[in-house]
Formats: sequence, structure tokens, C-alpha cells
Amino acid sequence: MMIEIWTKEKYAGSEEAGFIGRMAHAGLKVKAARLSRLYRVDGDLSRAEFDRLGRELLADPVSERYSLKPGANGFKGAWRVEVWLKDSVTDVVGDSVREAVADVLGRRPERVRFGRAYYALGPSAAAMEAAVRGTLVNQTVNRFGMEKI
Amino acid sequence: MNPMENFNSLSAAELAELDRACGWSLNADELAEVQRQFRTMGRQPRRGELETIAQTWSEHCKHKTFSGPVAYRAGGKVKRYKNLFKETIVKATRTLNKKWCLSVFTDNAGIVEFGEGGRWGLAFKAETHNHPCAVEPYGGAETGVGGVIRDILGVGLGAKPVLNTDTFCFGRLDGKKKLPRNALGPERIMRGVVEGVRDYGNRIGIPTAAGGIYFDDGYLLNPLVYVGCAGLIPADKIEKKVRPGDLIVCIGGRTGRDGIHGATFSSANIDEETGSSAVQIGHAVNEKKALDVLMRARDLGLYNAVTDCGAGGFSSAIGELGSETGARVRLERALLKDTRIEPWEIWVSESQERMILSVPKGKLKRLAAILDAEDCEYCVLGEFPGDGRLLVTFGGEPVADLPMEFLHGGVPNFEKPASRRRVKVSSKKPAAPAYWAGALKALLAHPNVCSRRSVITQYDHEVQGGTVGKPLQGRYGDGPGDAAVIWPQAATLDPADMHGFAVGHGFCPAVGRIDPYQMALHSADEAVRNLLCAGADVRRTALLDNFCAASPRDPEVMGDLVQAAEGCLAAALAYGAPFISGKDSFYNQSRDAAGREYPIPLSLLISATAPVKDVRRSLTINFKAAGGALFLAGRSLKGMGGSVYNELKDSGNNAVAGLDLKAAAALYEAVRRAMEAGCVRAAHDVSQGGLAVTLSEMAFSGGLGAEVDLSAVAREKGLSAVELLFGESPARLVVEVEPGREDEFRRFLKGLPAAFIGRVAGNTGLAVSDGGERLFFEDIDVLKACWQKELI
Repeated sequence: MMIEIWTKEKYAGSEEAGFIGRMAHAGLKVKAARLSRLYRVDGDLSRAEFDRLGRELLADPVSERYSLKPGANGFKGAWRVEVWLKDSVTDVVGDSVREAVADVLGRRPERVRFGRAYYALGPSAAAMEAAVRGTLVNQTVNRFGMEKI
Repeated sequence: MNPMENFNSLSAAELAELDRACGWSLNADELAEVQRQFRTMGRQPRRGELETIAQTWSEHCKHKTFSGPVAYRAGGKVKRYKNLFKETIVKATRTLNKKWCLSVFTDNAGIVEFGEGGRWGLAFKAETHNHPCAVEPYGGAETGVGGVIRDILGVGLGAKPVLNTDTFCFGRLDGKKKLPRNALGPERIMRGVVEGVRDYGNRIGIPTAAGGIYFDDGYLLNPLVYVGCAGLIPADKIEKKVRPGDLIVCIGGRTGRDGIHGATFSSANIDEETGSSAVQIGHAVNEKKALDVLMRARDLGLYNAVTDCGAGGFSSAIGELGSETGARVRLERALLKDTRIEPWEIWVSESQERMILSVPKGKLKRLAAILDAEDCEYCVLGEFPGDGRLLVTFGGEPVADLPMEFLHGGVPNFEKPASRRRVKVSSKKPAAPAYWAGALKALLAHPNVCSRRSVITQYDHEVQGGTVGKPLQGRYGDGPGDAAVIWPQAATLDPADMHGFAVGHGFCPAVGRIDPYQMALHSADEAVRNLLCAGADVRRTALLDNFCAASPRDPEVMGDLVQAAEGCLAAALAYGAPFISGKDSFYNQSRDAAGREYPIPLSLLISATAPVKDVRRSLTINFKAAGGALFLAGRSLKGMGGSVYNELKDSGNNAVAGLDLKAAAALYEAVRRAMEAGCVRAAHDVSQGGLAVTLSEMAFSGGLGAEVDLSAVAREKGLSAVELLFGESPARLVVEVEPGREDEFRRFLKGLPAAFIGRVAGNTGLAVSDGGERLFFEDIDVLKACWQKELI
């Protein structure tokens, strides 16, 4: 199960502007953007427990919201890019969250991996992929996926 | 046939082919010596033995280039060195023989006395992690920081880290050069490196507070990432000795296939075929657990020796600790990340966050209790038997069985040719800009001068609550500090003890392109001046040398190194500042798909530390109040060589101003005494961008302008206004003296070049004139806006 965390739109201006600026520096014109954090939690947990992790552990209730349905942010027509560390690469954030999940639920999930998602409106598929490869991903340690939502 | 099984009869060409295939980076002489040894032993080597030898003899572990023989040719004369490092860097320290140096060149870091009463030592170390950062900047920087912290944890019986430092070199972010297919762009590298340093330092809870960033297209394909760490250690915990019978205990992270061949990787040029196995991602939380265990166990005397697993992994760490006693290692006991790993890979893996302890059998139980309480994993890998033999097995099967004498003393070293590089130097009068204020604004916005706020603010420099001299200083906390001042109360646990220390750097590769000897002098001088400007007692300066260079197979690269090393010797002796530790990194040279070579310029980072007797009296750079008297200490010399101005606009003059070491040392002692007497309210060195930039930074950091007349400045005959304002001749600093104490200050500097140049103004205008001619007038808010151009 994946838990996705977004900054609420009224607080997300600076991170979105930073991303758009970074893409512009890479030669990619992005009309609008959104960013999120991803936690892939592998383990025998109920939906209610995943909800609890999103609500109590991973999202700041003041400035963030969470979803158990990836990409459910109403950003239709945008490219959605997921970037993860390869499974063989040390994931410090994932490891720490795994311990935190154990503290909250009383049992440790098999594995937690941490990633990021980027939503971008405007560019063509080829331009988007080139910018992702050039700025967001190092294929030595990362893997990524891209889809239109 | 497997060439490993037929090693002793392979030809030189076959040995070279095998070396390439295995990634050992051994040269022909070394391969022949290994072959000779195994022929003498009457058997073929095992893979684990060859891997052990490759790691132990690597440039990273043995520093063969710097500590080897060199024949230096210049002007028809030849000077021979048996050991360049010992005859320059170490010689300075031995000659100075300072009693406050507690441990030098023998351990993972240098240690000097700290505070009063002989209770504490300050351990300091800096090193590089260049090659990994070129391939994976984030992971490379993270593991670089983690590695240098482990050096501090592994010095003596373990020091508590209280400061991280970082200095980076990248290609120009605005450069237009087309990169080869395998290269990451400089912005990408910079973002990754900064994020790696940030995440590791912030997560482990050590302030990152002293450093710099330098841009030059010489680093386009080979970024340099210098990371440093300082820590406090009780003086009675500096000695360590492995006792025969002690257990070999590994604590911290698990062992995996990550980082195989990191040590030998540092002995090779980066090219299209460079593999990803040489890089990894760090785990700061695991290292924090090991840190907490070590500090508790150290104070309870639960181990006799400790060292870190760095390059070469177990093979280097256990090999070093057991160099006198030998070691018996059972690799099947290692805690693994992944069971799909060969025994020899366990032996040489460079998985992060591991420390090796030498533990008396009777103390293991108490140590284990602390490890369990801190949730820190450990395993007992074997013991140090005392027979001088390294025997490594996996499930009873031998992996390596080598005499320590051969492993540590068998590496052949050959004389390297070195020659002086010919550089055309022009001393003609530099061309003046049409518009002085415009040139100043361009200099302030130059990437090697402008604000580093967007980087600095990513680091937690306040954690531990002891960062007194901050990286951003001044009335609004946004001016450039010269040096970090640390009050290590988190280690001493004594809030009444106001002793601290300052850390500063000197780095002048642009000067090195013209004159490597002067580069070393300028770098040491800049580092010492930065400490002085923070109010440190520079009579007790200790230095670290960190050399980075291209391939030492090029005689001119070796020639640059020889000159710079001689400069280090001269500077250390003149300033009474011994080198206490250092590092070198060679082969910072890349080849693209077309076979073109991209070497870096010789780069020497001098890191310096000196005590601050009372951190409450440390100094910052910003003007403090209207009416403050401004003095320029030091003599301004001709020459625009190596200046930022010359990068912006070729002045036609590339002569480097020579440093008068004796005069500089006398000047600094006088300024130090004036500071000690309380005359000085602010101080800032004249370095990149020159005097005009120094005055601007002091002014806009304080939110106060100044009326400056340079007529009385001590200067070389014929000095032009360009050289005066924008030249970077060394050994100069601007100080603001308390109004009414000008005469007292003059008395301290009697007979020395120090000129009254004006006063801090009550308004925001910075006016500078020379000999009755107004050179420029500009509002400091305009100057600040130019300087605050963000890097990323």
C-alpha cells in the first residue's frame, strides 16, 4: 500500500515555484506543478491502520493531507512522475519510518520505502522525460515511472 | 582457465588485463611484486588475498604518490625526495615540535590541546570524497560526511563530533560547455552534494558551519567535495593499543555488496566504464547509534582500541588494528544485508557506518548491554592473536592468509618524475574599468564571491547549541563569516567553561595555475587570517592539508605538487602552525567517450583551527557602529594573478603577489594583541574580490556605510587603483577599531603597515577615494542586492 502526502495547496506555493524554476533551468516549461512524498509500506496492515499512519504519523494535520490512492489530487492532464531509490539502495527515511510505524502500531511492517512524486502540467512526454532524467533521477541509484493522469 | 588459478605464471600483459577486469588499480610493478611474493610462498593467491592487497596498497590507503620518492626538475637542476610528504608536511610539524600537539599523523585525525588544565583534546580531520560524488552526488557526499565523522569517532578511543565542515568545487553553473555523455551537469552535482551533506549532518545532529564553494570549469567533470569534522576527546583517552587476545567486534551497520572497490576506485581515473558499485547511500541514524554506544563504552573503558571501517572495509580496518598482533577473522559471523555475497566481498565491502573495536573478552558482556540498549547491531568477528598473521576464513575455508609484514611493508614504490610547469606571466599595468562601481557590483555577484545563503540555510548549524561564530553574520544574520567559532559545551558539559575554537579555510586554485608555491602560501595565509578575524589565538594554529590533483603520472602535475608541498612547509614554519593531519586525492581527471582528458587544476584546501579563549569575545565581520575607525592592516602589492577580477575582465596582468611570510606573521601577532586588548570591534580579511569587496561586505552586513580614503595605505611602488581595489594580494585585513582607541591600536601596530582609512558612517553610502580622487560611491543596499544573487 502506498501513502501519499501533499502539502495543502495554500501552503505549497514556494515548493511548486522552486520545482517550476528548476525545470525551467533544465529547459522545460511547466505551467503548473504539484509535489508529494510517497511511502510504500509492505506489510499485513488493515486499511484502517494505513489511514492511521497517514493521519497520525506521516502527514502534518495543519499543513498537509494524505491519500491512500496515488495521484488523487485532482491535477488532471498532468504528468505524474514517481522517483524511488532502487530496492538495493539504502533508504534511511524508509528505515526510520519503519521503526516509527512499529512504535505507532505495535508491530513492524516488512519494509517501508520512501519516494517522491512530481506533477507537471504542460510539457510533452519527450521533454518531460528528458528533464526528469537530467534533473530528478540518477539512474545509478534511482528508478522512476511516468504517466499522464 | 580462471586466471586467478594461474596467477603466478601470468605475463605482465595478462596481469594487467586481470587487474582491469577485477578493478584493483594496481600498477605493473605492484602486480609483479605480488606475483613474486606468492611464488616465494609456493602457492597461487586466493581472490580474497589479492583483494586485500589491492585495498591495502591503494592510493587511498597508502598515499603512494605523496609519500613516495620524487625527482623534481626545474631550471636544469634536480631535487630528489625520498618521501615528499615527510620531507615537507611532516617536516614542518617535527621542526616546530609544539607541545600542544597531542597526536599527529599517526591516527585517524590530528589532536591538539583544548582549553586549560590538560583535560581535553580537539581532534580535527578533513578529507575528500570526489570520485563517488562525480558518479552519485547525493550518496557520495553523504558517505563522505559519514566517513569523516567516523574518523573522529575512531581517533584515540573516540572523540565526540562537535562540528562538520564542507568545501566544494564545481563547474560553473552558467557554463556553456557541452558535457560528455556520462557526466552529470554542475547544477545537478551541486544540488546532490549539498543535499547529501545537509541530510547526513542534520540527521546525525552535528552542526555544519564552516566551508565554502568554488566554481571553475576545471571541476566540470571532477567535482571536489572536501568534508571535515572536529570533535572533543578526553586527554586520557587518546592512547589506544590492541592487546593480544582481544576480540574483534564490529558495531553499527550491516555488510552488503555496496561500495565494493571504493579504495581502488580512488586510484583510477573516471571514465565511461566507471561502475555504480563504488557508490552508496549513507545511514546517519545507524551512525548516531554507533556514536552513542562509543561515547558510553569509551568512558567505561570497555575497549582497548577502535577504528572506522572506511575504504577497504574490514580488510583495511582490521588489517590496521592488527598490524602488530595479526588477526584471526571468521567472516561467517558478519551481519549481512544480503546473503548473496562472496566471502571476499564481505572482507572488502565498504558498507557504511561500521566501527571495529578491540575488546577484552571479559568486557564483552557489558559492551553488549550498551549496544542492546542503543539498538546498535554488532558481531564478534574473531580475535587479535598476537602471532602477526592475518588469517581470514569463511566457514573454515581460508579467504586470506598473509604475513602482515608483506601486506603493510611490501608495496613497491618507484621514483616519480616531476617538472616545473611553464606559465607565461605578464606584469604589465592592469587595465582599469570604465566604471568602478559597476566592476564592484559585478564582482559581488560573481559566483565565487556572492552569498551562499541558499546553501548555508539548508544546514543545521545550531544543533548542539554551541555555534557562536556563525556562517552568516551581521546585523541581519546574512553577511559572510570568515570562520566558525564553536563553544563545545555539548561535549565538555560545563557551561561555565567559555573556551572555544575557530575553524577557517584557505583555498586559492586560481593562483595555483600560475604559481603553485605561492598558492600554498596564500592558502595557509588566508586560513590563518580567517581565524584571526574571528578573534582566535593564531599563535596556536593547527593546519590540515588536503591536496587534490589530476593524474600524478603527468610530471607537471607532480611538479605542481612538489612546489605546493614546499609552500606548505614554508608557511607552516613562518606562522608556527604545524600540520596535524591531511589527505590527498589524485586521479581527479576524467576521460570522455572521445578520449579527451579533463584534469582538475591543483587544488589545496588548508583547513585551520585555533583556540578562542572566551567565545563571548570572538569577533564578526560587520561594521558595528557609526564612528568606528577603519584601518587596513597589511601592504597592498602589485599583481592581479588569480583574482576574481581577472575572471570577469582580463586585466592583462596575471602576476601573483608574493607573500612576505615574516612580515605577515609579525602583523598578525600585533593585530592579535590589539584584539586581545579589546580595541577591535570587527575584522574581515581581504581575499576574493579584493579590498572593495571586503569593505562592501563589512558595510552591508552591518547596515552601515563608510567614508574611506585609501591615500595612507601601505603599498608597493607603482600600485594601480585596480590592484588596490580589486587585487587579491595576501596578508591584508580591514579592522574596525573602537572610537577613541585609535592611538592604542596604532601603538600595537607600531612599525607595521597599518593605515587609518576612514570611519563607519551613520548612513548607507559607501564612498571610497584614493589620493583625492573619488573611485566610487554606492548605496550598500544596492551592493547587497548584487551580492545576494542566489546560487541555486
